[in-house]
Formats: sequence, structure tokens, C-alpha cells
Amino acid sequence: MTWLFLQAVVSGLLLGGVYGLVASGLSLIFGVLRIINFAHGAVMMLGMYASYWLFVLLGVDPYLSILVTGPLFFGIGVLIQRIVIEPNRDAAEHNQLLLTLGVALFFENLALVLWQGDFRTVRVWYSGASFLVADVLVEVPRLVAAGGAVLIALGLWGFLRTTDVGKAIRALSEEPEGARLVGVNVARIRGVAFGIGSACVAVAGALVTPFFYVAPDVGESFNIMAFVVVVLGGMGNFLGALMGGFIVGLAESLGAAFLPGSLKQLVVFGLFVVVLLLRPEGLFGTRRGR
Amino acid sequence: MSNDQRISLTAPIGRRRFLTAVGAVSAALAAPALVRAQAREVKVGYILPVTGPLAFEAQLALNGLQLAVDEINGAGGIKSLGGAKITLLPGDTQNKVELGNSEAARLIDQNVTALIGPFSSLVAFSVRQVTEKNKTPFLLLATVADNVLEGGLRYCFRMQPNARAMATLTVGNMIEMAKNAGTPIKRVAIMHEDGNFGTTMGNHVEAFAGKMGYELVQRVPYNLRSPDFTPELSKVKASRPDLLVISGYYGDSKIIAETAAKLRIGVNALVGLANAAYSNPKFITENRELTDQLFDGNYWHNPQSARARAVFEAYQKRFNSTMSNHGVQGYQVMFVLKDALERAASTDREKVRDAIAKTNLTDHILTQDAIHFDEAGESVNATPALLQVQGGKPVVVGPARFLEAKPVFPVAKWKG
Repeated sequence: MTWLFLQAVVSGLLLGGVYGLVASGLSLIFGVLRIINFAHGAVMMLGMYASYWLFVLLGVDPYLSILVTGPLFFGIGVLIQRIVIEPNRDAAEHNQLLLTLGVALFFENLALVLWQGDFRTVRVWYSGASFLVADVLVEVPRLVAAGGAVLIALGLWGFLRTTDVGKAIRALSEEPEGARLVGVNVARIRGVAFGIGSACVAVAGALVTPFFYVAPDVGESFNIMAFVVVVLGGMGNFLGALMGGFIVGLAESLGAAFLPGSLKQLVVFGLFVVVLLLRPEGLFGTRRGR
Repeated sequence: MSNDQRISLTAPIGRRRFLTAVGAVSAALAAPALVRAQAREVKVGYILPVTGPLAFEAQLALNGLQLAVDEINGAGGIKSLGGAKITLLPGDTQNKVELGNSEAARLIDQNVTALIGPFSSLVAFSVRQVTEKNKTPFLLLATVADNVLEGGLRYCFRMQPNARAMATLTVGNMIEMAKNAGTPIKRVAIMHEDGNFGTTMGNHVEAFAGKMGYELVQRVPYNLRSPDFTPELSKVKASRPDLLVISGYYGDSKIIAETAAKLRIGVNALVGLANAAYSNPKFITENRELTDQLFDGNYWHNPQSARARAVFEAYQKRFNSTMSNHGVQGYQVMFVLKDALERAASTDREKVRDAIAKTNLTDHILTQDAIHFDEAGESVNATPALLQVQGGKPVVVGPARFLEAKPVFPVAKWKG
């Protein structure tokens, strides 16, 4: 029993790190643009394909591919925002939401056309690497993914704290009207935020490819959980998203180990509903949480 | 009309052009006579999800159908019908219920003698009403749900094992094999995806426990899209089973096998149940070490059959790939129909239906005894093969009479 508990905790934390990074991007986009980006999972999928092809065609290690996919998907994010979201900025919220859903469906079907529906895997020398600590299994690629995700999320947090662009993003997120009044280039910052969010999720995609698979609908594995995480952490709360990731990872993992049947999903989504009802600003939300 | 007039007005018609025109007209006039003089044809419609999410698998099945049709036509067609050739008419369901119905109705309108399809059990549920109403024989292909044939259908037949046969015979084959190997299986755990397919399999494995004398120590339904199965497998490990059964799709099954290996899951064997990955050549090639000695219960062909070998060669030549189990099913179901057509000596749907009902086909390439159908239209002897990956390819290790290689059991690597 103790073993099962420890194993579930370790697995949950490792998974939680990745959820955290995916959700950080989503949370950032929500904070600045005030839209729920349903295309987030699809962007992750594209990021995974990018890492996959870099590996297959050029032999680039998936971890190194971050150096390419990060900037690439920052650009793609900016473009999505420019071309699709910005022109509809004044449309009703549900229209913008449907718009991102449309983008998601477009990307998924594009992937289906370009690369067919079959599953692809990246096999690197460390794909199967794992070790046991007191009989508890730790898979190296999952450990790297979780660690990398936390580092990147913290790095971004620092970026938001210290740089001018970061401060502008935060300003826009916390007080849009005020930000505009003090001369923040609102349209540009929105693009940057969408770009950073997209880069985050593409990087998360690259981090999971060594132990996961790539397929057109793979983003959905992480996307739904990311929504839960964002709500838990407080919408628009960057560090909250990271913490929320760990909580959801743990809840899912402990639920799977100790509850019968498919109840683990119920635990996670139950948590989601309860938090929305009782603490809509999120567990770590501040007054800005909305 | 006005166009023709303008041409003749603006440019005098040349000799060459005149001759072409005359030739075309006379050919058109002669055509009906030619058609009448030809041997009769037998129209067979297929309704398959040739586009959409199941397009890849559907194409493999369609290749099998096509291969069989070419073989039949090449060997002189249906002899009792004066060498009538089989014509395959296409129908695409895109795996959608409403398209399944309309495509079936359209093909029936085009006078097909029988329909073959449609993969998805959901689509089959709906199409069967169309075929019953129109009294058209409907041969199911790659449709597993148990209850598709319920309700006293007259025109619907299923050549392959249904979910129940798939589950019970696969576990039964494993248990028999383990007993022969001197390491009986007493404790069984199953992990299955929590959709319709996996849950049905899970129910059967659970219900079968009493009859086969094993204890089901753990049953874990899981979400297909879950990114991690370590906690689930840890739970399985803690219940100390001898055998772990896995019923799932491709990506999930891959991650489960990988994690089970790393966790040193401690079972005597891992067996897939109609698993989409474990006997899939692509999965095996990409994961040689992991897949070695994995078991899977699935549709297969009889490795002892010389005819099966010839069919595989023909398939390889024509499609430049190894024939899949869906291809085998497609090929064989067409020959079930061919056999019925020969005996019916008619393209009349009612007569063909009666002939299918009386099928007793021994010359086939499946791992089972003669193909014949019961009252409900289920194939009585339908049996999944028990496969084990050995040397990078799945070989038949059960039922014993179709043995291709000796099973390796217990499998040391899962023991940890």
C-alpha cells in the first residue's frame, strides 16, 4: 500500500509538471486576451509533429528541437492572433471561443490530411530509460519533461516580472484600460502573449514526444486537463497554473491507484466543478481572477 | 444542338471529323447489343469507411475484397452463372450512421446481390434495418459488437468472431496454453479502455472467470487519452496477477506495455484482446524489444494453409505490403459469398440468402473449422487466433491445431 501510494505520488508529480506548462500557456493567453483558447491542444499537436519531423528528417534530439519549435511557434501564435483573433476582438466572447475551436478543428484535420491518422513515435536512446528508488519507478524522459516544464515556466514567470514586455503583458492582464492609458501597444502585446502561450505548449509537446506518441488528436490528451488546471490555478494566474498542474496530476494519479473503475476522471472533473462553484477565482487566484 | 449548328455553319466539316463522328455514333448504337452478349455480372456492394478516421483500416479490408474479386473473375467468374463476373460497387460511410444507411439504400437500388461492410458496429446497427427491409444479404465485415445480430434478423451474417467469442476464446486459449506449459493461470487482471469496445471485452472476461476457474483480481477501465498509466499498472501489480489482459487501441496499448515493462509488472504474460497494437506489424517493427513475446488474441489466417500463403504472396505482389488481418477478413468474406453464389446459381437475393445460410465452407484461410452460420447468422466456429510475437513477427501459438511455433511461456521479462 505504501509503495502504491508513493508510486502514485511520483507519477502524479511527473505528469503534473507537463500539465503545468501546458496550462501556463493557456492561462497567459486567457489573462491577456480574455478568451479561452480551444486551439491550445492543436498547437501542442503541431509542436509535437514539428519535433517529430526534426528528429526523423534531421536527427535533431527532441529536447534540442525546443530551440527551433519555441521561436517557430511563437511566430505561429502571433500569426494566429493577428489573422484570426484580432479582427474579431470586439465580437461577442462566445464567437471568439468558437473561432478558436474552429482553428483547432482546422489544425487537426490539416494534420490528418498531411500525416494521416497513424501513430508515430520518436525513439531516442533515453526513451526507455528509467530507475527505481525504493521500488518506485521513475522514468527518465518523464522526469526531464516535468523538470524542464517547471524550469521553463519559472523562467517565463521571471520574464513577466522583470522585462518591459513582461510588465506590459501583466499590466494588460490586470488592468486593460489602465495599460492602454499608459501607452502599452495593446494589439502588439496581445500578439506577444498569444505567441508566448503557443510557444509554451509547443515546447511542452517537444518534452513529451520521447515517451509519448504523435497523432492528429494527441493534443486532446493534455488539453482538457489544462482547462481544469487553469481553473484550479485561477484564470490568468501563471504560477497558479503551475501549482494547479501538480494538483491535477496528483489527483488523477492517486485516483487511478485507489479508486475503482474510471473514477479518477470523476475526481479531477469533480474538483473542477467544485472549485468553479466555491472559488471561481481559483485556489491561488487573487482579486484579479475574475 | 445550337453548338453543332454553329460549328457546321462556320466551318465546313472535314472528312476526318466526319468519319470520327460516324464511328462514334455507330459504336454507341452497337453498345447495347455488346452488353447483352456479355456474360452476366453479379453486383456486390461494399459500404466501408474508406474516408474518415478509419480510412486506413478500411482500405486494407477493401484490398482484401478486391484481391478476392480479381481471383474469382480471373478464374472464370461464377461457374453456375455461366462465368458471371463479380463487380464491386463502392459505398463510403465515412464511419457515419446516416451515410451508412443512404449508401446501403443507393447500392440496393443499383441491384446489388449482397452488401459487405461496414466496420463500425454502430453503423451496422442502423444499416441492418435497411438490408432487412429490402431483403438483401448483408455480410458483416470487421464488426464485433455482440448484439448486432440480435432481433431475429434474416439477411445478416457475420463470418468473424463476435466480442464474446473473441474474449472468451482468447482467455481460454491462454489458460489452456499455460496449463500445457505447466504454469497454470489462476489470477487474471484486465485493463481495458472505457469505451464500448473495451468495456464489452471487460464484461466478458469478468463473466467468464467462474466458468474457466480463474479469479479476476483486478479490472481497470481506463481513459484512452490518459497520458500516463503508471498508477493503474501499479494497482495491477499490487494485486499480483499471473496474466494481464489488455484491450485497447494503438497509442494507449503502446504506453501500457512500455510502462508495464519498466514497472516489472510481475506477470507470466501480457496478452492483448483484439488489441490494435500488439500484433500490428508497424508496432512490432517500431518496438522490437518491447513487443518480443507479447501475446494477442485477434483475427488471423491459418499459417498451415498453403492457400493462405498463396493469397499472401498475391497480396504482396499487388499491393506491395503485407496482408493485414483486415485484408484476410475482406478476402475470406468475398469467398463465402462466392461459395453461396455458386450454390444458389442465381443472383436473386432471396436464393443467395438461403445459400449463405446453408454455407459449409471448409476451403478457407482462417484459424477455424468449417465456416457455417447459426440461426442468428453468427459463424458457429469463428475463432480468434492466439498470437505471440517471436523474432519480430506474430506467429500462431493457439489453438493447438494451428500451431505455427511453440509458445514461450511464462515470459521471463515481465517477471521482473
